[in-house]
Amino acid sequence: MSLLLRALVVAILWLPAAVGAVDIKVVTTPLGVKAWLVQDKSAPALALAFSFAGGTASDPAGQSGVTNLMATLLTDGAGPLAAHAFRQRQEDAAASLSFSASLDRLSGSLRVLSANREEGFELLRLALAQPRFDADMVEQRRAQVVAALNQANQRPASVAARTLMAIEFAGHPYAADPDGTPDDLKRLTPANLKQRAAALLMRSGLIVAAVGDIEEAELARLLDSAFGALPLGTPAALPPDWQPPVKPHTIVVERPVPQSTALMALPSITRDDPDWYVALVLNHILGGGGQQSRLFTEVREKRGLAYGASSSLRSYRKAALLVISTASANERVAEAIRVVRAELARLRTDGPTEQEVTDAKTYLSGALALSLDSSGAVASLLHSMQVDNLAPDHLTRRANLIAAVKIDDVRRLARRLLREEVLTTVVVGKPVGITADP
Amino acid sequence: MVRRRALLGGLAATAALGLSPSAFAKLFIVERRRVEAFTLANGLDVVVLPSSRAPIVSQTVVYKVGSADEVPGKTGVAHFLEHMMFKGTATVAPTEFSRTVSKNGGRDNAYTSFDSTGYYQTVAPDRLDLVMRMEADRMANLRISEKELIPERQVVLEERRMRIDNSPAALLEEAVQEQLFGRHKPYGMPISGYVDDVKKLTVNDLMSFYLKFYAPNNAILIVAGDTTVEQVRKLAERHYGPVPARKVEPRRRPAEGAADLPQRVLRADARVAEPRWSRHYLAPSYRKGETQHAYALQVLAHLLGGGETSRLWRALVADSKLALSAWASYSPASLGLTSFDLSVHPAPQSPMVEIESAVGSQLGKLIDDGVTADEVERAQNRLLAGAIYAQDSLSSGPRSYGALLSVGGSVADIDAWPQRIAAVTPIDVIAAARHVWRPERLVTSMLTPQAGSR
Repeated sequence: MSLLLRALVVAILWLPAAVGAVDIKVVTTPLGVKAWLVQDKSAPALALAFSFAGGTASDPAGQSGVTNLMATLLTDGAGPLAAHAFRQRQEDAAASLSFSASLDRLSGSLRVLSANREEGFELLRLALAQPRFDADMVEQRRAQVVAALNQANQRPASVAARTLMAIEFAGHPYAADPDGTPDDLKRLTPANLKQRAAALLMRSGLIVAAVGDIEEAELARLLDSAFGALPLGTPAALPPDWQPPVKPHTIVVERPVPQSTALMALPSITRDDPDWYVALVLNHILGGGGQQSRLFTEVREKRGLAYGASSSLRSYRKAALLVISTASANERVAEAIRVVRAELARLRTDGPTEQEVTDAKTYLSGALALSLDSSGAVASLLHSMQVDNLAPDHLTRRANLIAAVKIDDVRRLARRLLREEVLTTVVVGKPVGITADP
Repeated sequence: MVRRRALLGGLAATAALGLSPSAFAKLFIVERRRVEAFTLANGLDVVVLPSSRAPIVSQTVVYKVGSADEVPGKTGVAHFLEHMMFKGTATVAPTEFSRTVSKNGGRDNAYTSFDSTGYYQTVAPDRLDLVMRMEADRMANLRISEKELIPERQVVLEERRMRIDNSPAALLEEAVQEQLFGRHKPYGMPISGYVDDVKKLTVNDLMSFYLKFYAPNNAILIVAGDTTVEQVRKLAERHYGPVPARKVEPRRRPAEGAADLPQRVLRADARVAEPRWSRHYLAPSYRKGETQHAYALQVLAHLLGGGETSRLWRALVADSKLALSAWASYSPASLGLTSFDLSVHPAPQSPMVEIESAVGSQLGKLIDDGVTADEVERAQNRLLAGAIYAQDSLSSGPRSYGALLSVGGSVADIDAWPQRIAAVTPIDVIAAARHVWRPERLVTSMLTPQAGSR
């Protein structure tokens, strides 16, 4: 290879202007399947990341959880192979095939040793074209999902995450639990699952990325063998637009635990917003990255109020949030939240320092490369770039986009986003001194 | 001394040792990995895992000390010290370590386990010099002040609340460790310490632990990624070379676990939504007990409960539908004895007694009827395939080297792992099972939503 991957990553880090150094190949198969490929001669394995348009947010009414359950069952038997036989074929080829569903997409990944990729793609073809949804496997997976829901309902961090989505997206499909409700799950039939698979597994809206020691023509042939037989189809309609909250909310969910988990959310900007890189810098200064952020410093380092205090950007197809997370003893969580709010206000009013902006930009330029430490990680980056509608040469421009962020941009975005008047706060535990909405 | 090793070079031999010529045999076309190891004059062991797949490099320093080296009354000191290692030296201000790594586009963190304490950073290759300088600095020049210690104690306690006190399963696990290895014994005390102890630890406690164990001759430096052994040697000599060796007492682990086994540990907790049945057997590790079983036990764990094609899963989940999942696990990289663990998530309405008897009959059946050559081979293949994929990732290499070398293993042991796994026979598996599955070595634990088992 690894000259190509190396060139790719070097470009991210140090050679932003060297357009052309990056070699993401765009492969279009005879049957019209499009894929991005990074050839990596040193990789003993092929990593494939792909996804179909439509996710849990478009679960049909009364069938919440159907997409998630269907995704799991795609690898539980296909064609002539029942679940056990299908799994053994994977093991014999040292291949691993899995599917999962997010709010907006149904994703899959295949990892197979180069020598066994024929078999890997055959299993992928079977899973997509002839999933079985055998009654006993449906029962088994359903019971596992229901048990996982029960369990999540007792885990403070999961309760907080679910509650936050329900509040922030009230009235919008994103509010529903992606795993479904126990009642809906109990009613799902193999026929429902088959229908859902047919509604999502299609070539239009398909996104594919591959990394490995493979020629373009060979990849094209294998992709056609796996995806070619799927109908072209019409992807599910996008979820409706989201109306962000217009007033603050504070919600307390009682759980008998010594430490309260707190999540706070603000409406943010989506990945396609021109200010995206400004938002990355702003988030890094507030609570992103490692141990340098304002939240980490003020909540943890100076006051010892929590083990972690961080923020992150979440961008969905039709919505975006800036989410702050911390956890503190029930008696001290009110103070931790007070400190977080004070930091939001301070950053909104005073903006960042030049040094903070410079440091954030250095970190963000380098950080992407740090995570690209396996073929699978590179494949998933190539996949998400396509989901985000970026061009193959984006990586050569990324550092410039980060470098172009100015302190005034960050000030401007801080004023626009860090608004306590639309802050949603969810606290799970037995917090002392926190007043919930009436 | 420089040794040249190919981590998976041994795989080529597995075919000759009789593994099936199935698709698995094709695994061996793997880039031979160069591993170099040498030791500085002050006793610091250095391992280099070069890989040019991406222009990043990681440094890990693992100290051969963990929570199991604490004494009763001072538990939690190893973990607290790990936190304070970020709080400055004679020349680096508190928190500046991580800030500097971040400012330079890198990431860093640390961990504490029973037997070792590790610190690691991932950076661009031209920042290796920087992180090696800072890591060597805190190996020799740590400063702990009362002012920094006071808020950090709260952070440590919050970490414990988050990981342990908020989780009934984690609380039960601590209770099991205490029953299995003995109260106030090395692995019987929680890694993060007892809260009452942590509240009392002083600057002096932390500094004496540091001075006792943090020395180049008690550490391993592992550098992985886009670098060369020459470069690492040069930088290691420059930064770690001047750190003086110190006399470090040898570590001790008991040859036995708790005396009064078998035991049962029950935890009924309103916060439990789903029950769990588990069993834990005292088991030999690579370093303690009947160590000759360590490889067969890895194969045994895989064929018994290493996923959905395993015996337990087939019997309890797929066939009888008594359970929603069933697992077995075994980790041999331990300085003292370790445990062989079984864990079952019962299906709704499955009584615990039925789970226990179903597991019992699977174990009995395995001992009585033996295991087939085919299932041993499949388990071996899964283990070996996992190792090959691990090679594709920059982070998993240093982690496994650190875990093994910190408990006295050698690079040669790591090299030989594939052959040793491939050499395990069905007879070895049964012998290992017989050795470990004995009533006087076990603790059974149950986690239930309300009092008693359901």
